[in-house]
Amino acid sequence: MTIPLSDILVGILSTTLQLSPFYLFAGMGEIVSEQSGVANMGLEGIMLMSLMTTFVVDYMTGNPWIALLAAVGVAGLIGVFFAFTVIRIRMDQIASGLAIYLFGLGLSFVMFNTVYPSGLAPNYVPLPSLITDWNTVPYVGTIFLKQNVMAYVSLILVVVIAFFLTRTSLGLRVRAVGENPKAADNMGVNVNKVRFLATLFGAMMFGISGFYFAGNFVPGFQTDVIAGRGFIVLAMIYFANWKPYRTLFAAMSFNVVYAAQNEYVTLSGFGVASVSTLFNMLPYVFLLALIPVFGRKARVPKFLLKPYRKG
Amino acid sequence: MRANTQGLRWLRTTAYNVLAIGLGILAGLLVVVYAGGNLGVALSSLFLNPITLSGGIQQIFVRFVLFYTMGIGVGLALKAGLWNIGAQGQLLMGMVLVFVVYSFLAFLPWPVLYVAMILGAALGGLLWIVVPTVLRVRFGANEIVVTILLNVVAINFAFYMLSGPIKSAGTALGFPHSVELPAQFQIPNIVSGVPITYAVPATIAMGIILYLAVERTPFRVKATTVGESHETAKYAGISIPRVMAVTMLAAGALAGLAGATYLMGYRYELDIGSFSTNYGLVAIICALVGRKHMLGIGFASFFFAYMTIGAESMALSANVTTYVVFAMEGIMMLGILLGNYLTERKYAV
Repeated sequence: MTIPLSDILVGILSTTLQLSPFYLFAGMGEIVSEQSGVANMGLEGIMLMSLMTTFVVDYMTGNPWIALLAAVGVAGLIGVFFAFTVIRIRMDQIASGLAIYLFGLGLSFVMFNTVYPSGLAPNYVPLPSLITDWNTVPYVGTIFLKQNVMAYVSLILVVVIAFFLTRTSLGLRVRAVGENPKAADNMGVNVNKVRFLATLFGAMMFGISGFYFAGNFVPGFQTDVIAGRGFIVLAMIYFANWKPYRTLFAAMSFNVVYAAQNEYVTLSGFGVASVSTLFNMLPYVFLLALIPVFGRKARVPKFLLKPYRKG
Repeated sequence: MRANTQGLRWLRTTAYNVLAIGLGILAGLLVVVYAGGNLGVALSSLFLNPITLSGGIQQIFVRFVLFYTMGIGVGLALKAGLWNIGAQGQLLMGMVLVFVVYSFLAFLPWPVLYVAMILGAALGGLLWIVVPTVLRVRFGANEIVVTILLNVVAINFAFYMLSGPIKSAGTALGFPHSVELPAQFQIPNIVSGVPITYAVPATIAMGIILYLAVERTPFRVKATTVGESHETAKYAGISIPRVMAVTMLAAGALAGLAGATYLMGYRYELDIGSFSTNYGLVAIICALVGRKHMLGIGFASFFFAYMTIGAESMALSANVTTYVVFAMEGIMMLGILLGNYLTERKYAV
């Protein structure tokens, strides 16, 4: 039995569209945060906490929208704390971010385990697909209609952030405080307030990413379940030179490579797991290969990682 | 007077560090008591189990060697302002290379193969940091991003090696693992019966040598100058690429070497249990707590070796997942950073 090529392509596109939003929400959040001068390395810890919250609230209420609100709320709380440490206390951003990662990695599982000890969790209620009987529409159904509405929100978000950063005065202020906080300050911009808002926004986007992870990546919560995929966002926006549309390209192409190797591995049915794990490396190696090609021209926001002190 | 104020500052830093660590422990205790654990049992597991439990002392020294070897590399790179977030990946590659050398160079006579396995581990870690180093030094690409990416690649690569080239013939079913190293390839105990291997004095000796080679020579000033400001370093005629390359490559080689001590001195076989242990992050904490000082990292490593084992044992005593230790470490790290801020009034890593 051979599977028609069109089915394989549809599968790849469908997976790409399904997985990319996770990277897009986080990517847009991290772009805004880093453009203002604050790199949040704790993103995966925040995602894990929101993912845990998503599952727990979803199990309890059966309503994914309430779970989304809770996930964003938890992420925002951690974001406020992180912003306080790096803006008010001027802690090293990388060190504080790593601490938040460890904290989230540990606490998310401890809390989940306390509420639902050893896999007694009920069924997760995901967001519905765009239309329930997407199966009936050939091709378009599997690629586009199967996705939930958040997938499309992420695409709109890319456009909004691109517009925000280049065409709005608040967006320009965000970039100004990351590029030259002194000058921005002289022009009457409250540097640390803008940074705080940008960091908070970033953290809340990680919350949406954590929410989106549920259902689309995994059916339930486990230890260390995001497994580095959150950190990958840092590489994507680095390659994308902090530009929203290029981040979209990075996320999509990463996931095309991922989906393609995934289809290939599944179809060829390697008896042993061995060769398939080599293919699993491909999307990461692909991203890595892009860095010397495009990252060479990367122009890091000048005051990224540097705290600002008035006067 | 100057010596006096310095002593006072040291005292304050230490006091803050102790407070920070106390805060982390308190958080862990809260979780354990909330989960229905007995406070007395929790406290005694935390403080006494590492030395009273069978295998506890062995574990302390195994982790001490691991954290110190990796942490010293992380600290060295950090002196030059470079973040090696990839110590976990380099450790893993070191472990893989031990078995690659063992399997593919098996024709070598015993002592040569033994040394080759240790050097192979260092080489594995070194190779894994060559790409971030070249990208950083030649193209200015951020080393954090690249080392993070390579961590994920390392896990996949190690899994491939483990399920194919270095797989033990005995694992037809279940999770793949390597063969077990025979006795002549294990690092022996110093005194038979006492589970402290020669890796411990070797690691301490290495720490002292690096202390003499780094802290007591102009290299320390060179590295810290590069770490603080490339402008100043350029002005002072310091070769920035050289300092960056040397510290980063050393960091990778040391993390790889840690893999050899772990496998040859304790675990004897590689399985996926060693993959996502997050020791690389603990090594970063040790480097920060030890204030990037080659001997300071040693004391920090010993402390964290003891503390993590105690905390894991405490968690198990109340049937709480050992993941609580990560949360405790996160709180401790934040507290220590906060303490640094309070002493210095400005934050410096």
